[in-house]
Amino acid sequence: MTDTHVSRVRMTGVSKRYGALQSLDDVSLTLAPGEVLGLVGDNGAGKSTLSKVLSGAVIPDAGTIEIDGREVAFASPADARAAHIEMVYQDLSLCDTIDVAGNLFLGREPKRRVAGVPLLDKKAMHERARDMLSNLGIVIPDTRMKVENLSGGQRQSIAIGRAASFDPSVLIMDEPTAALAVAEVEAVLELIRTVSQRGVSVILITHRLQDLFLVCDRIQVMYEGRNVAERRIEETNIEDVVNLIVGRKFAARSAGHNREKGA
Amino acid sequence: MSSEPNAYASHPPRLREATLLDKLVANGGVMSIALFFLACCIFFSATTDAFLTAPNLLNVIRQSAPLLIVAAAMTFVITTGGIDLSVGSMLALAATLSAAALQAGVPWPLAILLMLLLGAAVGGIQGYFIAYERIPAFIVTLAGLSVIRGFALLITGGYSIPIEPTSPFVSLGRAWVLGIPAPALIAIVVIAVAYVAFNETHFGRYVTGVGANAEATRRAGVNTRGVILWVYVLSGTAAAAAGVILSARLGSGSSNAGQGFELDVIAAVVLGGTSLFGGRGSITGTILGALTVAVLANGLILSHLSPFFTPIVTGFIILIAIWLNFRLFRGGAKGR
Repeated sequence: MTDTHVSRVRMTGVSKRYGALQSLDDVSLTLAPGEVLGLVGDNGAGKSTLSKVLSGAVIPDAGTIEIDGREVAFASPADARAAHIEMVYQDLSLCDTIDVAGNLFLGREPKRRVAGVPLLDKKAMHERARDMLSNLGIVIPDTRMKVENLSGGQRQSIAIGRAASFDPSVLIMDEPTAALAVAEVEAVLELIRTVSQRGVSVILITHRLQDLFLVCDRIQVMYEGRNVAERRIEETNIEDVVNLIVGRKFAARSAGHNREKGA
Repeated sequence: MSSEPNAYASHPPRLREATLLDKLVANGGVMSIALFFLACCIFFSATTDAFLTAPNLLNVIRQSAPLLIVAAAMTFVITTGGIDLSVGSMLALAATLSAAALQAGVPWPLAILLMLLLGAAVGGIQGYFIAYERIPAFIVTLAGLSVIRGFALLITGGYSIPIEPTSPFVSLGRAWVLGIPAPALIAIVVIAVAYVAFNETHFGRYVTGVGANAEATRRAGVNTRGVILWVYVLSGTAAAAAGVILSARLGSGSSNAGQGFELDVIAAVVLGGTSLFGGRGSITGTILGALTVAVLANGLILSHLSPFFTPIVTGFIILIAIWLNFRLFRGGAKGR
């Protein structure tokens, strides 16, 4: 899958400083079409910042981004969206007092014109929202419900549904399974496999290392704002990844049981 | 979540579709003010002879037109999580400048247009500082409250400027069209436009979005700073329109007009169930809130009580209505 000559995403030399903190220091990232990349690292390693740079929510101090071989500069999330880069944020980025359909379509609501005045096409929004959700196997009884009345898992489903439904070419997911129940985690992983088979490139940020081995093609490890390692999934194991994340030999119990079958 | 039917599929779903009661509870803010409004109307109808007469009711609407117009615009501002304290001062500035412009021989349609543009420009300046310079709306419009009234006082020297009673300008405040006072007619049009804009347009949706979660709305690709700038342009323009109507009705422009007007407007909006924290707003509620404030003032005068009772009673009503709103209607919905 990675043999295609033009990368879907190619970020080089990306740096970002917040005051005294160098959040990203000369970070690179490449992503082939249809590839699933696991981005891991401890808290504060810069995973979220790097993904926000790609989604246009954070503007880097230095570095270049190429999408399908063309250099781009994202000044806002709207620019990244126009380039078909969608992101599921860790905090879900939902508006609590807006209904389910309204959140799914936020920022790109369908229009209808009444006497030349552009109005929201609420009927189309609700119909298409139902279709979008059922295509992804998400059960929401009523798309007119306010998001504040939904459970954590349902909210997460809405956030993922929003990102996956608008023909993305790159889908970034920051801790998409953090608030989910067992069956829901399975559904998200299944969704990742489905969209990557359709040629969508996925960046998955997660602390659940076992998930990486179920869906990823490649893993990139970050440490204190730098890339420190890259592994193809078939060449590594959980213990190896844990050691790379913490930056030393780490006899963690969470990795221990892998020693027998792994290395 | 799985698309495969599972062993428990025969269980009834735990979530039911929203019933009428759910919807009433969800619109608790509007419901409580509607009940309050009705209670006030019934009370004053029973205790005074004059209240429930067509001339009196039309008079209430005529007098409350400036309040209704500005409260409609303020609903947008407060729904973004902002506030505009400068509307009373803007009203005074527009009232005095329109009178001054007419006295200087400016044709009346041009005078009105200039006032609306001035209101939009002042709102735009305040909106710029709030949206792009990130200064809290309270601070910016508090400064505006002081500066704008100051200009009105400076221009007039504290005197009120008379308007020629023969000018067609005054008909804006005094004329009757099809049995309805002209200010009321203007207010109805403004409210209808505000209702559609708030509930049925992209702009209205983004106003709610900015109030509910500004960062999420920005990440969704919305120009949130533009939205914030525009709500202050709206409130400035609405305040200028209110000032024009007020000076036309009174036949003079006074720099002392609209003292404390911003508090009446905010009271009307908050009474209507719009949350000061943003994200939740209702034009219907605002109309009811504004009318309640107006009916209280009118009814208390008709009851031959001291007019100084009005602020006392209004204050208590605000507290009780909001309390009811919190306790009675939010109880069924999620408590937050």
